[in-house]
Amino acid sequence: MSLPLAQEETGLEPGLPLELADERESIKVTGFWMFLVTDVLIFASLFASYAVYRSRVAQAPGPAQVFHYGPVLLETLLLLTSSFTVGIAIWAMRTGRVRMLFFWLAATLVLGAGFVTSEIHDFTSMVGQGLTWHQSAFLSAFYVLVGTHGAHVTFGIFWAVTLLFQVARRGITPITARKLYTFSLYWHFLDIVWVFIFTFVYLGGKIG
Amino acid sequence: MALPGWMLYLIHTLFPADTRRPTELGADVLIIATGAILFYILIIKGRWRHVWTEWITTVDHKKIAVLYLIGAIAMLFRAGVDALMLRTQLALPHQHLLSALEYDQLFTTHGTIMIFFMAMPFIFALFNAVIPLQIGSRDVAFPRLNAMSFWLFAFGALLLNMSFVVGGSPSAGWTAYPPLSENVFLPGVGQNYYLMSLLIAGIGTTMTGINFVVTILRMRAPGMTLMKLPLFAWSALMTSALIIFAFPPLTVALSMTLIDRLFQSSFFTLGHGGMPMMYVNLFWLFGHPEVYIVVLPAFGIFSEVVATFSSKRLFGYEVMVASLVSIMFLAYGTWVHHFFTMGAGPAVNAFFGLSTMLIAIPTGVKIFNWIFTMWGGRIRMTVAMLYQMAFIPTFVIGGATGIILATVPVDYQFHNTYFLVAHFHNVLIGGTLFGLLSGMYYWWPKMFGMKLDEHQGKWAFWLFFLGFWVTFFPQYLLGLEGMQRRMNTYPFGLGWHLLNVISTIGAFGMGAAFIVLVYNVVWSLRYGERDLTGDAWDGRTLEWAISSPAPEYNFARIPVITDRDPWWAMKESGATLANSLSPADIHAIEMPKNTPVPFLLGASFFLFGFGMVFSWWYVAVLGLLCVIATLIYSGFNYEEHALLTADVIRGTEASLGRLQA
Amino acid sequence: MAEPRTAPEQSAREEGLEFLEPRVHGEGFPMAQVFGYGGSLLLTFGSFFLVTRHLMPPVILLAVILTLAIGQAALQLGVFMHIRESRGPAWQLMPLGLAFFIALGMIGMSIWIMMFKAGVS
Repeated sequence: MSLPLAQEETGLEPGLPLELADERESIKVTGFWMFLVTDVLIFASLFASYAVYRSRVAQAPGPAQVFHYGPVLLETLLLLTSSFTVGIAIWAMRTGRVRMLFFWLAATLVLGAGFVTSEIHDFTSMVGQGLTWHQSAFLSAFYVLVGTHGAHVTFGIFWAVTLLFQVARRGITPITARKLYTFSLYWHFLDIVWVFIFTFVYLGGKIG
Repeated sequence: MALPGWMLYLIHTLFPADTRRPTELGADVLIIATGAILFYILIIKGRWRHVWTEWITTVDHKKIAVLYLIGAIAMLFRAGVDALMLRTQLALPHQHLLSALEYDQLFTTHGTIMIFFMAMPFIFALFNAVIPLQIGSRDVAFPRLNAMSFWLFAFGALLLNMSFVVGGSPSAGWTAYPPLSENVFLPGVGQNYYLMSLLIAGIGTTMTGINFVVTILRMRAPGMTLMKLPLFAWSALMTSALIIFAFPPLTVALSMTLIDRLFQSSFFTLGHGGMPMMYVNLFWLFGHPEVYIVVLPAFGIFSEVVATFSSKRLFGYEVMVASLVSIMFLAYGTWVHHFFTMGAGPAVNAFFGLSTMLIAIPTGVKIFNWIFTMWGGRIRMTVAMLYQMAFIPTFVIGGATGIILATVPVDYQFHNTYFLVAHFHNVLIGGTLFGLLSGMYYWWPKMFGMKLDEHQGKWAFWLFFLGFWVTFFPQYLLGLEGMQRRMNTYPFGLGWHLLNVISTIGAFGMGAAFIVLVYNVVWSLRYGERDLTGDAWDGRTLEWAISSPAPEYNFARIPVITDRDPWWAMKESGATLANSLSPADIHAIEMPKNTPVPFLLGASFFLFGFGMVFSWWYVAVLGLLCVIATLIYSGFNYEEHALLTADVIRGTEASLGRLQA
Repeated sequence: MAEPRTAPEQSAREEGLEFLEPRVHGEGFPMAQVFGYGGSLLLTFGSFFLVTRHLMPPVILLAVILTLAIGQAALQLGVFMHIRESRGPAWQLMPLGLAFFIALGMIGMSIWIMMFKAGVS
């Protein structure tokens, strides 16, 4: 024998949750973290643009005039709560409580849908007042930054619905566990992005 | 006979006046001829089933590498022809072979294709062919994603190339600065083509970046710690990291331009508070790292080639790794040097001028280490090594002119002159292209099981090398004499005449080199020297320890790595791989299964892109629905792997002479 | 059907990168999540309170609420996303750290560059 041969292992690594115990699935989790890295940079580029365009309001109203803080506070509460419920859902998944998993995941989706509805309502009322993104670079940057986040949330809701079908059919396996876990990472990540939007865009608009 | 209204609309939209010129009609004939040949091979000769099962649905990294390579060579041809047309137009003063618009379109597609659809896929071809073998893995981390990346690149390239004959080419340069690239100035579909094709191919590139980072971090053979990783794999890791961090700003910049053009937002417009320079800022946030994305793989290739053909361990491994990592970091801190003349202020310009000069330090370290590796080695002058030898002086000169351009007051003089054009061709051809060709000659036996003919290869090399210098050295002088970049013609009496003639002669020399190169490839595929040992060059790293071309599963058993040059160390100890495995060592292996999903995903994105280009919303929405349907189908399909039984593997290994009787 | 075979990976110690040593969270009652939820509400609505009360000058206020937002991000990553969980070294730590660093650099530098301090714009 010339090159020594590796002892190849079989099965699941003990002491780890399902989605990490299976090597192939754990590699996909690492891959998903890398995807989140690209998304961090997407939002960073959008934030950079917003920061530069914040004062470029042209003849249109500026941040202080266009933001509605009521809906924004409601959206923040909904999204922070949904981040908590998806955390509980993953805890239920890891302890094998399938019904509980379904309940908390469904709660997450309802909260997410509430968030999206409120945001769409907010946007349509702004457009109704004539505040389209054609009006100024500030409004363009605002709609595209906040809208990209909203589109992410919407995509996440549809993604999670397909996951619910898969779990209903197959139960908690390494593959479905990994899919749910990556979804939860995605959802928490959107929560982080929202906190920065809330702070930098909305509260920043109030400071002036 | 009058045509119905919708047909007239289609003809005027799809074939406006600027797609009915002689060059475009020539391209039409070429496309129809290629289509006829493909139709003959696929349908009449009945090869479509083979092409579908073996190539279109494949997820095998070795086959995807071949597909990337074919795409890259085809794009090299297309963009090379663009370049020859540009040089012909500029050969003599006051010439009007091409109209100003045609000239703009050609330099736009030349640049865009060379960077995004030639250099990038060529790099991915080598990554796919080599990285899993070098790190002792059976595939990349995400084989299906890998195939998706390829098909997104392929359909993105198709979309951009189509613009020439359907609807009209983009014409705002490869950087597509607004406000020129906005609707007000370029109302046709050309810029939409540019934006959509780069967005689609960009998604694929980002996924490739993720794939190779995870492959290299998670799939290395046991014992191969990061500090035992071959340098080509290190350069792939750093390149992929650069891709992950650099492509998002490009995606954002292109999307904003697209929204401006199609949906009337005000990011980069002249009115409504828009700010065209913000595009430039975002574009170069991507664009500068991109320069290192294309050159770091070349650094990795040269590090392998120089060690192998000097029969010596690479000099200063740790320092080479450290300089790769520091180039990766510094690449993010220099982007403003592409627009010093914007006038961001002395503090900004001084900061970015200095950070640019800093990059010369790690690069210089690498140059010295390559030279020290050759020092005292037994050097074999193969074609791969010739490209390496040509690279060193060429790249040093290209780098030195870069330092000149990084000096802010000087840059105000040279900005957008032929001095700049000569500089970046100097580093892109002398660095990237020489590196990729060197890698192609070096790993060709591993990819195809035969060597490329060395004699013909040397002809191609010398034509390339001399053609390159004859083309671009005069351009430095032209830049010093004030000739501006992107001018379609120039008057008599400025003293630019002779230098332009020389430059054009050199360009045709490189064209001849391309023809010799293709002849070399075709000839060698038929008559080339077969490589039966799997170790064509007396190599050092793990990929040479398996047969050429590698079997489907790469390694029947994954080896344990104890040395930086594991295969060399094994040969030194006198061991051999012949008949080394006993049948009992071999177990069944799970391999990823072929799937049509990646191809369908690419086709759906193509439909979406096409609809967006022409603002045909029904087509775009249909394409988007197809994308979603493909993803859902893929998500519900859990049968991703198939078992390769131990008997099949024993059979393969026995036929390769590696199994004990 | 045979189980998939995998080669063992290098541990963080073998790589010489001890700071990537993974840590897996326990399975008991998720008190951390509950406290995390409370903390996240506190941080976010706390910054809203600070802004509405105008307790400090604008620049300092902006710095304070951005710090609170970063604290919130750290909380989400640590409590909910289990950032150190992995099979083998927690490789995600390095790219994520770099991503946040580059993101901050990108935003800060873009503001600096696009201010046009030269006065020639």
